[in-house]
Amino acid sequence: MRYVLIGNSAAGVWAAQILRSLDKESEIIMIAQEAVPAYSRCLLPEYLAGLKKKEDLYIRSHDFYKNNNIQTLFGQRVDTVDAYKKEVILQDNNRIAYDKLLIATGASSFFPPVPGLEGNGVFGLRNLEDAQNILDACRNARRIVVVGGGFVGLEAAYALYKRGHEVTVVEKLSQILPQQFDEKAAQILQADMQAEGIRFILGQGIKEVVSPGLWSRLFGDKGKGVILEDGQRLKAEVIIVAAGIRANTDLVKDTGMKITRGIPVNDYMETSIPDIYAAGDVAETRDIVTGEVGLTPIWPNAAAQGQIAAYNMAGQKKAYGGLIGMQNAVEFREVPAIALGITRPSGDAYQVLSDYVPQKNYYKKLVVQDNKLVGMILVGDINQAGFYGAFIKSKKDISPYLQDIMRKDFSYAYASN
Amino acid sequence: MRQIMIDVHRCNGCLTCTLACASAHSLSQSIVGAMQEKTPSRIQVLSAKGKVVPLMCRHCEEPACVVACMSGAMKKDSKTGVVTNEGTGQSCVGCWMCIMACPYGAIKQHPTEKTALKCDRCSHREVPACVEACHEKALSFVEVNEYANKREKKAAASLVDEQG
Repeated sequence: MRYVLIGNSAAGVWAAQILRSLDKESEIIMIAQEAVPAYSRCLLPEYLAGLKKKEDLYIRSHDFYKNNNIQTLFGQRVDTVDAYKKEVILQDNNRIAYDKLLIATGASSFFPPVPGLEGNGVFGLRNLEDAQNILDACRNARRIVVVGGGFVGLEAAYALYKRGHEVTVVEKLSQILPQQFDEKAAQILQADMQAEGIRFILGQGIKEVVSPGLWSRLFGDKGKGVILEDGQRLKAEVIIVAAGIRANTDLVKDTGMKITRGIPVNDYMETSIPDIYAAGDVAETRDIVTGEVGLTPIWPNAAAQGQIAAYNMAGQKKAYGGLIGMQNAVEFREVPAIALGITRPSGDAYQVLSDYVPQKNYYKKLVVQDNKLVGMILVGDINQAGFYGAFIKSKKDISPYLQDIMRKDFSYAYASN
Repeated sequence: MRQIMIDVHRCNGCLTCTLACASAHSLSQSIVGAMQEKTPSRIQVLSAKGKVVPLMCRHCEEPACVVACMSGAMKKDSKTGVVTNEGTGQSCVGCWMCIMACPYGAIKQHPTEKTALKCDRCSHREVPACVEACHEKALSFVEVNEYANKREKKAAASLVDEQG
């Protein structure tokens, strides 16, 4: 038996680790485009801020691959997959046969189609190379514009602010973190960063990016012009694009595999083609709260999916219990915040409990539907996030707890016998 | 493999375990020293409606915190079964993914450092300090099989068993 895994991040590494624990004999081959051991993308902002060195980003010890007897083909690009012959075709035309294949190719930065948003000084922040390029470009830069007020954008903004740059975040919607948090939570987090000195422009998209003319360049002004929808003009030497992601599905586009925004998989992480599995940011799974199928590009879900894929690849049927697609934890400066599940309910079906004390950076919001907890936002005090999360995941009837659930000391003690 | 087991009914909420825990994790290895060093306790004594519940990491079979950890710091030792984010080769950065993942709420933010704080089952000691200090025998350090399928599993799993 030969397992081939394409991708060497959360999903790929966890899959390899579980496969080896279940199957000591079979061959495991990992193929990845980047020629470095597995590292944490989530730590790239720490690297940007200068708090971590490259080696500190690695998520496994240096002998992980050797100890687990995993063959690595790193620095290799997969061209396509031949699902009939069950072979992976590399760009150098080498063919690698597989019995079971895992697609864990992740995603790439999405660049919105804005004229001029390309070339020198414009970067995504997705991999180590991006981070290194940003650092190089920042060496002589003063002003930085971050396009997108989501997690990646804000993390990048704060990291570069810490290095001493002037940072402006431009977000098209009217609040930061629009996908995870509601307005109140976003305001607390924004105020926290604003107080530090990061500038925000909300409700404005970017119309165009213009390169400096010959004249300005001659006089040493390298900054590009960033023109907003209302005509406002910003200058920046470095522009970071954090406007979302696009799943890396190119390598299977000719296989006949069902592809939507990503690769939809069933509960066993199987794609529409036998013996090919997908996990991580490239896979589309069903969210247990909303029931909707979609990408859930966050680290814990990728890791969990990689594990489930491995069990099934090794022949042990194990279903993905489903995860909460939308969940995230942040702490940009000093206010921690966690969002889980449905945080901005619309309609009468939901009951919202909330406690909002902005001057203390405290906010707790619980979203209840049919006596079940379906979403929450915690800002300031996050210590019980996992406990609330257990209610969301288990879909337990919360009516016995309703009168206590908003208490600041609500904890496991209330649920234990 | 030995585990710390909790008998909630015996706990009277004296908090001695929290002092013993802080002491055992302080440089000075003393209660007064721990207070001076501001060493936090890793065991919590939670209360609800007049009843008290001591809680520390359960060192789960399939720990959600380990899967959620994005720096690779949180690991489960295959020999001892201990789940910890300290001394595992990678360092904790305080992203709070583990706090978000732990169904018991047994992981906290460290009060002074940007790291997650949790029970390491006193890896440096024969018997965990909280167990040694508990006068009421609400905490015990026993082979899991002796006890596991009895009350502890029942109590601990009442909320979380549905999620596997």
